[in-house]
Amino acid sequence: MLYDIFIDPFVQMGAQPDFLIQVLWEGFVSGILYALIALGFVLIFKASGVFNFAQGIMVVFAGLTLVGLHEQGVPAFLALILTIGVMGVLAYGIERVVMRPLVNQPDIILLMATIGLTYFLIGFGEFVFGGEPKRMITEELWLPTGSTAIEFGERGLVLLQHIDIAAAVIAVLMVSGLALFFNKTRIGRALRAVADDHQAALSVGISLNQIWAIVWFAAGIVALATGIMWGARSDVSFALEIVAFKALPVLILGGFTSVPGAIIGGLIIGFGEKLGEIYWGPLVGGGIESWLAYIIALIFLLFRPQGLFGERIIERV
Amino acid sequence: MNAVTAAKVVPAQPVAAPEPEREVLLKVDNVSLSFGGVKAITNISFDIRKGEIRAIIGPNGAGKTSMLNVINGFYHPQQGTITWRGEVRRKMRPYEAASQGIARTFQNVALFKGMTTLDNIMSGRTLKMHRNFFWQVLHYGPARDEEIAHRRKVEDIIDFLEIQAIRKTPVGKLPYGLQKRVELGRALAMEPELLLLDEPMAGMNLEEKEDMSRFIIDVNQEFGTTIALIEHDMGVVMDLSDRVVVLDYGKKIADGAPAEVQASQEVIDAYLGVSH
Amino acid sequence: MFYREAGQFKTTYEADQALFPIRQDRIAMGLILAVAFVAIPLLANDFFLTSIMIPFLVFSLAAIGLNILTGFAGQLSLGSGAFMGVGAYAAYKLTSIFPDANVIVLVLISGVFSAGIGAIFGLPSLRIKGLYLAVTTLAAQFFLEWCFIRIPWLYNYNASGAIEIPRREVFGVIVTGAEALPLTRYFIVLSIVVVIAFLVANVIRGRIGRSWMMIRDMDIAAELMGVRPLQTKLLAFGVSSYICGVAGAMMVFFWLNAAEPSSYSITLSFQILFMVILGGLGSIAGSFLGAAFIWILPVFLRFLPGLFGVEVAAESIQHVTFMIVGALIIFFLIVEPHGLARLWQIGKQKLRVWPFPY
Repeated sequence: MLYDIFIDPFVQMGAQPDFLIQVLWEGFVSGILYALIALGFVLIFKASGVFNFAQGIMVVFAGLTLVGLHEQGVPAFLALILTIGVMGVLAYGIERVVMRPLVNQPDIILLMATIGLTYFLIGFGEFVFGGEPKRMITEELWLPTGSTAIEFGERGLVLLQHIDIAAAVIAVLMVSGLALFFNKTRIGRALRAVADDHQAALSVGISLNQIWAIVWFAAGIVALATGIMWGARSDVSFALEIVAFKALPVLILGGFTSVPGAIIGGLIIGFGEKLGEIYWGPLVGGGIESWLAYIIALIFLLFRPQGLFGERIIERV
Repeated sequence: MNAVTAAKVVPAQPVAAPEPEREVLLKVDNVSLSFGGVKAITNISFDIRKGEIRAIIGPNGAGKTSMLNVINGFYHPQQGTITWRGEVRRKMRPYEAASQGIARTFQNVALFKGMTTLDNIMSGRTLKMHRNFFWQVLHYGPARDEEIAHRRKVEDIIDFLEIQAIRKTPVGKLPYGLQKRVELGRALAMEPELLLLDEPMAGMNLEEKEDMSRFIIDVNQEFGTTIALIEHDMGVVMDLSDRVVVLDYGKKIADGAPAEVQASQEVIDAYLGVSH
Repeated sequence: MFYREAGQFKTTYEADQALFPIRQDRIAMGLILAVAFVAIPLLANDFFLTSIMIPFLVFSLAAIGLNILTGFAGQLSLGSGAFMGVGAYAAYKLTSIFPDANVIVLVLISGVFSAGIGAIFGLPSLRIKGLYLAVTTLAAQFFLEWCFIRIPWLYNYNASGAIEIPRREVFGVIVTGAEALPLTRYFIVLSIVVVIAFLVANVIRGRIGRSWMMIRDMDIAAELMGVRPLQTKLLAFGVSSYICGVAGAMMVFFWLNAAEPSSYSITLSFQILFMVILGGLGSIAGSFLGAAFIWILPVFLRFLPGLFGVEVAAESIQHVTFMIVGALIIFFLIVEPHGLARLWQIGKQKLRVWPFPY
């Protein structure tokens, strides 16, 4: 028994290094996608202290809008631009209808509001685009679809999907773009001010409403990119919602306000989950991917309640 | 204004010979506390005697609140010992300090905002109530009798503090002065031996301060409760307290009767600043 | 005018601490119970009982359970669906192991299992707070759901992977299984819910309820008042999970007859959470109002187009229901973050001063 848990999996890893690398690559890619979802959460949490439960649904919604528009005969790139527009309208609408009236409410109320928003978007998305899964318009957007097999050692093969490589590249670009935006622009500075203290930011003449609309829009664009990448790997459907919950452990690991934290948290969860599923999963009958992420986060939390990158909490009275 | 009141008090209280020594209730020996690299308290020793009103004063950031937090077990000092009624105290959780008879109020009112005044004060009786879950579920027999017996005690406190009218008001809706009063009531409900008051008069107007001072003196004299208080209003401190300890930058700079402390050059420097 | 406590003086603390200190409230409560126990059984048809009343009561109970944890003790939980599942599977196993035992007693015992599991998942709450705790409960949700699928022993190795409730009699009356009459089921469910709600009300107004609320409102101060955080939180997790467990067992035993792991998925957890939020955090009456709202509204919406003679596909109605529920949640949070229970209180206050506005 102990052998099965502590030794055998590593023996397997050593015996088939090409397979191990394949598993790690899969973990890396799903980690990137988790990180992208988490990134959307972090943007909104940083600027408004709202834990946006609807981020996962925004991913699906963005993907569905894009595909849905294309199905109506809109050319792919026009559809992409239109979808960005839709996300803008959505951001403005959310700010106007949900955020503004709820300013200054306790965190839990705001969280609930975003859960309400989640339900609304699920209903709305299915009502407009139908409930059945759709195929992402990968080729039409000039995204690579093939795969490359890399020979490894004497008999091993590692298969890399081009779309996965593209996903990694886009994620890196997006994170650097956001970092620049946060640190170098006037709006970025205002955003950080709002994140620190709403009232103080207001008192120096920063418009909270404008900032919030901008962050939600930025989160919407992140969601769109995530939706495209994810849709290209599987189909676009509301089944993605359950995967979006995994952003929560990712955030816990990385801390709610840290962009690098989101990335590293995403990668830890991605690697941990895939390795666990492949090498340890069979011991308990498989399918442990559905909860392993939460357990990993839970174990981390027990040792560091503030997350990996959070500051140590000193309680005061 | 503080200086004026203080000046008035000095002649009224001649430096009297110390009274016959009272029993030491709590003794702090060489306690040091730091957060990360920041030293909050450095090597402080003092004692609190039974039945006295002991004031802890000092400029902002002197470590007064940290000292109270150490006393009721919320922070654990890196060095030094605390002796409670002659026994050296081990590292303990706050609820253990509470069960030994240490109650306190907070600098920023820490009432249970979702509960009524009555429930808040009842919450102070938590440690005195023992009926187990099964009686509680039935809310009958022993559990109900217990509840009513404690309600009677709580009503006495409500009468004492003159807050009958707000008995069933959620405390979140009360003005600040009343909240402070309810908080005092909640601490009193614990029937503590040592009552720690963290700036009981902060942000109050003169009238409210007078009321609060009267309550503190009454508590001390009628119930014989030992009190340690932090306060910035020098007039209040000089009038109320039996002995004063002065902290500055986490160090003790003076200890003694109010008039002695007031005369100390170091204390004056600490408050007024001194050019180095 | 009719709702006034003026003139009702209390002379003892007993009277002042009664569950319903105001006479009109006592009368209203009596009326509600009379309707529930007499009028509804006399007037309602099977459809009304099976599709509306029984689920409404079951969900009310689950909402009360979650409300203890989230509303009173302040610990956010997204795992109530799984705890309901534990109750259901435990009750199912108990009936298989003890086929002759009284099934109602077994349902009540099944909650003990979910209380234990709830307490285990509550352990991290000592160190982890707020949203972070939500992750713990999500871990419980997904882990337990996985157990329901992957441990065939739990569903007696059924090929379908579902649990099917066998026919059981209590004192010669069929109470579970497909042949049990809706009326019988209704009476059992109603009685259990009323009794548990009453007991919970008792706990809430005593020392234990107060220490839960102390932890909720300000945990540090609570600890300095002598509340032991771990014990108190674990008790909240335990009691909450017990009630959710019983509700989950009743859900399959007296309502659905059969259940699969997906019956206790995260969707159910959210549904219960919505009921608690909409009804009002920290209110028992609110749990009932929230359950009524979330359960009955979709049923109502399903029949609404029919009333106007419009044919709408069942699917679209479901989607629209999602939209409406989502929008209503946001609307309620904006208008009254304290839920229906607070609206009810405001209404009572208005009645009290009627006909004057203040």
